[in-house]
Amino acid sequence: MLIVQILCYVAILVFLTASVSRIIKVAKMPVHLRWELYPVPHEKGRAHYGGSKLEENEWWKKEHKKDHLNEWKEMGTEIVFLKAVWEFNRSLWIGTFPFHFGLYMMITNMVLLFISGILQLSGNPVSNGSTGVLLYFYYLILDIAWVSSIIGVFGSVRLLFARIVDNGLRKFSSVSHYFNILFIGAIYLTVLLWLISGKEFVGTMSDFYASLISFSIPDIIPVIAVWHIIIAVLFIMYLPFTHMSHMYMKYFLYHYVRWEDGENIPGSTLSEKLGKQLAYPVSWSAAHIGADGKKNWGEVVTNIPEKM
Amino acid sequence: MTVRKDIKVKDMSKGVEPLVELDPQDFMPLPDPYDKLEEQPGFKKLKESEKKDNVVNLDGVLIGGLPVPKSKEEEEKYVEAFIRGIKKLFTKEDNWTFLQPLVLSMEHCAQCQSCSDECPVYEGSGYQEIYRPTFRAEVLRKLYFKYGKPGNSLIRKFQHGDIEVNWALISRLYELSYRCTLCRRCAQACPISVDNGLISRELRKLFSQELGFYTRSLHEKGTVQHLQVGSSTGMNDLAVKDNIDFIDEDISERTGLNIKTPWDKSGADVLLIHNAGEIIAWPDNPGAFAVILEAAGISWTMSSEITGYDGVNYGLFYDDVQYARIYAKHIEIAKKLGVKWILMGECGHESKAMAAIGDRINSSIPRVPAVTFLKDIVFGGKIKFDPMKNNFPVTLHDPCNLVRSMGVVEPQREILRYLAPKFREMEPHGVRNYCCGGGSGFAIMQQYNFADWRIQISGRRKFKQILDAFANEDPSPDVPKYVCAPCSNCKGQIRDLFAFYGATQKSGIYYDGLVELIVNAMVDIKGPFIDFDNKM
Repeated sequence: MLIVQILCYVAILVFLTASVSRIIKVAKMPVHLRWELYPVPHEKGRAHYGGSKLEENEWWKKEHKKDHLNEWKEMGTEIVFLKAVWEFNRSLWIGTFPFHFGLYMMITNMVLLFISGILQLSGNPVSNGSTGVLLYFYYLILDIAWVSSIIGVFGSVRLLFARIVDNGLRKFSSVSHYFNILFIGAIYLTVLLWLISGKEFVGTMSDFYASLISFSIPDIIPVIAVWHIIIAVLFIMYLPFTHMSHMYMKYFLYHYVRWEDGENIPGSTLSEKLGKQLAYPVSWSAAHIGADGKKNWGEVVTNIPEKM
Repeated sequence: MTVRKDIKVKDMSKGVEPLVELDPQDFMPLPDPYDKLEEQPGFKKLKESEKKDNVVNLDGVLIGGLPVPKSKEEEEKYVEAFIRGIKKLFTKEDNWTFLQPLVLSMEHCAQCQSCSDECPVYEGSGYQEIYRPTFRAEVLRKLYFKYGKPGNSLIRKFQHGDIEVNWALISRLYELSYRCTLCRRCAQACPISVDNGLISRELRKLFSQELGFYTRSLHEKGTVQHLQVGSSTGMNDLAVKDNIDFIDEDISERTGLNIKTPWDKSGADVLLIHNAGEIIAWPDNPGAFAVILEAAGISWTMSSEITGYDGVNYGLFYDDVQYARIYAKHIEIAKKLGVKWILMGECGHESKAMAAIGDRINSSIPRVPAVTFLKDIVFGGKIKFDPMKNNFPVTLHDPCNLVRSMGVVEPQREILRYLAPKFREMEPHGVRNYCCGGGSGFAIMQQYNFADWRIQISGRRKFKQILDAFANEDPSPDVPKYVCAPCSNCKGQIRDLFAFYGATQKSGIYYDGLVELIVNAMVDIKGPFIDFDNKM
């Protein structure tokens, strides 16, 4: 069990390190030219039809407050319900929605089990023998586990089926696409088998979380539980190195590109950054560029070669 | 049936023959009377000489511009340059302009294909696999993980597969980067917000900026001519002044107003920069602008300085440096004249190039899209209108750059709801519109058989949409129906669509801009400004 426990610590460390470094790398990239795509939800009073402040004469003289609440509403709907897939790819949504929603429920359960672990360490174990709120808490975790594993297994099978049967999906699927579905499917399946086997789920997992929190040796747990934990932690380590990191990188795709319409106001931080970027050296080789690896963007743009 | 569903991304590196053969029988069906292939001019096949002189290995269509390598060594040279270009595309020094959106689009696509059916090219072609929005994107993605972000090759192959880089791949990918109109409907449909339109653009950029592969229409006759002669139309300053003089005279005669376009007027409030294509192809458009500006009492001017009388910026479609050079010239000219702001003509990409993209290059002078400005004039009360003068069916084509990339959606509609009593929307419209099929510079491309491709494939969805918008009207050609397209590029494409299918002769469908409708509704002009009899 010690090995499983160590694996959990390593997984958390790998996940955090890889994710944070990925986030920092993207966040620190140069400011790009504007490339927003409408509708942009922070456009107050205009977002519902896709309008922008450019519809207003002399917009540069007026202050425009952004509707950040609507941005989060849009983002939330997209993340939770996979709105775009529902709108544009309904047959895929039937599989991908339960597949993703099951994952959100499992993540929720991880948080609840973490709390349950703390409660256990403080002498208030969450079990089917608990009373009052703790008993409700017990059933909440158990019900989430049932629902998430059932819809998750369904979603995984449906997605796998779609990737195999649908010509368009199959041709664009690499080995990892199938592997990823099977990987996540195995997480769901091991929970489902565990629950079906009748072995205690909430109590065992609460014990395990308590041992993780307190850095103590956990009790022996059922084999199916060991399988579930090992598969889950391996997945946690694997995720940041794949396209599935869109789970959190989606924030940048939306907020740093799709909805990013910040104005270049002279003297602003944005303007300062852009000024520095114009000093980057250019090394493109085509003759009409007139670059030599030393001239910067400003110089290349203003010195137009005679022969283009 | 020639639609090949079995083509895979890897096939891009294989063989020398075209991957697909296009057959109009496979294309998306059109309604009667446009469903009769035998009544149409057909899809032009390349001549043997054209095939001999050019690399034809994608779909039997040519955008042109590629040299045919004379030896294996030369091919190798291009392969090396291409790989070098891939690397540069992912460095902040060489591509700070779009690095972040590009990397994010490279790394997070889940290959769910939610974007595919949103693409009018893919649909119009009858679902040819190579036109799927993810197809070319997936080629660049594989190359990115191979050369732009090298790591363990086993893990890379497991996650993204592999692709061989050779001349076949490079030449096909170059052509394929010009089979997307950059309309970005696919990006709208992406749950993660991956932008396949941007990927097409970045591919074009790599080819242009590293290998010097570009189309003659966009480069030599486009940005180069624009910077050196003054306009992508080839007009120099004398020619543009002559043409505008002629337009002023004609418009004065037709409207009964005294129109004289001011040139190089220092200290004017507004510098008007048309897409110069209007001056040559649709002279009523600059004429109508002049009428409106004069009637509204605006202090305005045009510039006769090189580059300053043409608002197009084809750099937007293929080359960051050429784009920035033209934009910088526009701003420099406006500052020299001391105007308060720049008014862009009815041109979608001009508007996007100046108002949105250019903002982060130089924001020292405000840039205003025509429709925004026109709305204030129409509702400002200085000009009297009689909307019944426009009492014929009108629909609106939304230029992608104006709506999807800038969020300028309502002003043009407010004007039409007021001035065109029989206005109706196309479906879908606004930010969900379909591209005219001539986006990203396609509308000006006539070389080889490319016009057939853009008319019969990329413009097919739009043509059907136009027909659907007038489906409940009398189909007789004697009942004029008007497609309002406030964009030069779109008008060029719609003109060619209508000519190819005979839409004006068969169904009485005409097209033109927004300012023409505005002037047509003015009380103070003598006679109608829009003359359907002379538009045939």
